[in-house]
Amino acid sequence: MQANAEAEKLARVRLNFFGCMRSDWLLRLMGLYGGAAELLKRPPAEIAGEGGVSFATALRLAAETAAADPEKELALARKAGVKVLTALDDGYPELLKTIYDPPLALYVRGELKNMPAAALVGTRKATPYGLRTAARLARELAEAGAAVASGLARGVDTAAHEAALAAGGVTWAALGSGLNEVYPAENRKLADKIAGSGGAVISEFPMGLKPMPANFPRRNRVISGLSLATVVVEGGFESGAMITARFALDQGREVMAVPGPVDSPMSKGPNDLIKNGAGPVEDAGDITACFPYGALAAAHPGKKGESYLRPPAALKELSPDAGAAYAAIAADEKGLNADELAQALAWPAQRTAASLFELEVAALVASRGGRYTRV
Amino acid sequence: MLAKISTLALKGIDGFFVSAEVYIASGLPAYAIVGLPDAAVKEARERVVAAVRNSGFDFPSKRITVNLAPAEKKKAGTHFDLPIALGVLAASGKLGKNPPARLEESFFIGELALDGSLRPVAGVLPMLLALKDSKRTAVVPAGNSAEAAVSGVKCLAASNLKQVAEWISGSDGLNACGTVPAAEAAGSGPDLSEVKGQTFAKRALEIAAAGFHNVIMVGPPGSGKSMLAKRFGGLLPPMGPDESIETTKLYSVSGLASAGRLVRERPFREPHHTISDAALIGGGSNPRPGEVSLAHNGVLFLDEFPEFSRPAIEALREPLEAFKVTVARVKESVVYPARFLLVAAMNPCPCGYLGHSVRECSCTPLQVHKYRARISGPILDRIDLHVQLSPVKYADWEAVPKGEPSAAIAARVLKAIEIQKARFGGRDGRSNAAMTAGELRSHCALPEGASAVLELAMNKLGFSARSLDKILKVSRTIADLEGAAAIKREHVIEAVQYRMLDKSEALAGI
Repeated sequence: MQANAEAEKLARVRLNFFGCMRSDWLLRLMGLYGGAAELLKRPPAEIAGEGGVSFATALRLAAETAAADPEKELALARKAGVKVLTALDDGYPELLKTIYDPPLALYVRGELKNMPAAALVGTRKATPYGLRTAARLARELAEAGAAVASGLARGVDTAAHEAALAAGGVTWAALGSGLNEVYPAENRKLADKIAGSGGAVISEFPMGLKPMPANFPRRNRVISGLSLATVVVEGGFESGAMITARFALDQGREVMAVPGPVDSPMSKGPNDLIKNGAGPVEDAGDITACFPYGALAAAHPGKKGESYLRPPAALKELSPDAGAAYAAIAADEKGLNADELAQALAWPAQRTAASLFELEVAALVASRGGRYTRV
Repeated sequence: MLAKISTLALKGIDGFFVSAEVYIASGLPAYAIVGLPDAAVKEARERVVAAVRNSGFDFPSKRITVNLAPAEKKKAGTHFDLPIALGVLAASGKLGKNPPARLEESFFIGELALDGSLRPVAGVLPMLLALKDSKRTAVVPAGNSAEAAVSGVKCLAASNLKQVAEWISGSDGLNACGTVPAAEAAGSGPDLSEVKGQTFAKRALEIAAAGFHNVIMVGPPGSGKSMLAKRFGGLLPPMGPDESIETTKLYSVSGLASAGRLVRERPFREPHHTISDAALIGGGSNPRPGEVSLAHNGVLFLDEFPEFSRPAIEALREPLEAFKVTVARVKESVVYPARFLLVAAMNPCPCGYLGHSVRECSCTPLQVHKYRARISGPILDRIDLHVQLSPVKYADWEAVPKGEPSAAIAARVLKAIEIQKARFGGRDGRSNAAMTAGELRSHCALPEGASAVLELAMNKLGFSARSLDKILKVSRTIADLEGAAAIKREHVIEAVQYRMLDKSEALAGI
């Protein structure tokens, strides 16, 4: 029986090499024939006849799975320190098994702990508001003991992963490419950090698969599938974050959104979700409130006095100049660069530099490409 | 018959004596020039024949050998035409049986036109400076007379071969080259007050001028990078007499001093980014000074810095470090001085709009990283000041009052330079930017509060250890501008602001 399980796992890894938009019909065929190993033994004509797929697709399935080498793939994964899980293996997330079409194989780098998670998703072209809010929510979730799931993309995803790591929390990144092809390239180090600090970088795609646009919506169902709730931080109507929200809805998970300014194109998506009944999120307490009772080891974090609404307490310890500079920077949604600040306050360079230094060291403002925005 | 005519040649920017020996023997007519002549010197043969005949003399149909001694040194340029022609005339007895004293004791420089008239040549000033202590007379083309006057050597200006021949035989037909015109009233170049806003950039330029720090300006298109750079020279103190001569020599060697003036205002060179590395730092089989040397004692402005070729950018290392360029060739190597202030300008990213207040940047972080990585660490290491420029909004243009005039800033800069002269014992070319590690320790002691600033900068803002030295040097200059003996905390804090390209965010997720 042991040998059979081994063969079935290899068969599933092999079957996973078939490139398709969704895997639900493969799961149906596996159900029909009693496993991937059985399915792979059937001739294309039989699969086409009984399985309700076109003959062309069945032929392509046979060709692509025959070309795959699952043993080599497993060796490759082992070499990269990656575990390959199928639904037969222990450690395959229970929550993910319950979705409509769970991945046939899950490549995991790091550790996929059994803990409640929330997904923070959003656009790559986030505004300072989106980045700041994503980071705060991620930090609060980490402090509450929940994992933060996201997609390792630029913008909101990166902000969420980084903030969760900085708070010493657990974060999961689901990729739309193979684990040997981390995309975007500048997040490679971030991926290493996630895998090395109790979190996990995961993918359902073969190790060496290059990032392809078609695969990114597909991986979004994994992000929402791993999570009890999916929070859209920022994104337009047609953004990937909205696709994740739809998956979460299909999977019967909680969909929530961060309300944003009505004139911000990046808040169109979340505001629309709220209009249609999604829960608005102000802080992590709003998210964990919809977790099942007892899901979190710690008690639900209450509202923390909505500290983010007021100027931070740290500001009191700084000079009046720093306070004035902070007010000027916070007043502009896009932030200011050093020169604009000097002009806004009509200060000479020395005075402006001194207040910026105070604020930056106190981590009250952050500079991105030379623009200072409040954190 | 044999004749010897004294003339001069150039190695780098220094002149040396050359003797043009002409020997005319009977035999089959032949005519050769020896003594490592380059192509331009070899062509003197044809010019000399025509010039001699068209000046009313016979050109001997005999066996003529011309030797340019010392024969092992390379000779380049067209200025040997006149001495060779005079040698031919003297050796064929056209200038009298015994060589007159004027022929024996004078030096001759000039290119001949086919009709016998004299054309101006490059490098007259550095060549004549070799005669400085000899009290001998030089005859130069009339077109070079203003430049020759700068040398302080007794010079006569001639307009054709015939005039020179007559002068040698005793006539008074040649005029002295005159004197250097007095310095004109300080030119009213473009003023920094015309640039509105850009508080940090102006301040950075002030610090750069005061401590001889190189500076890089990062800003979107149209933020006034070249406008600022063109006004930078106005902040520097006027050129000293030695500086003037040295820069004029370099201009002369490059044939740029044809207007023949002493260069009095600091050079401002702005080569295009397609320039080759040889043109930038100097080179060629007959070495010529590059743009870095033409900017000697002045400003080298490199706009679109990352667009320069990698070899060109890397070639800047030597002059930025040693203030000179050594052009080594198999047969010789020459040294050109190149003490310039580098003002580089670049866009923040390939599209130019990263960090822009209105426009969206369309670059990926990787593109930005690759763009910035074109300026290698060692080069960035030699640029002490990084400053960010913001685009000017129209509203600001109207509202912002005019800035400080250049003269007021230049006065502060001058004071800071005086302080540095005292600090480094008045040695030439020493500045805060060029402090050694030892000097850094002795001149940049930090008070208690200030070293904490550096620690914060490293731990919280992600500065690398190697940027700390730059911060210290710049702090020293900021303190000097204020006339403060010791560096204070606020000086260091301000200096930190001018290292934006060192921050870790500049490389990581932007």
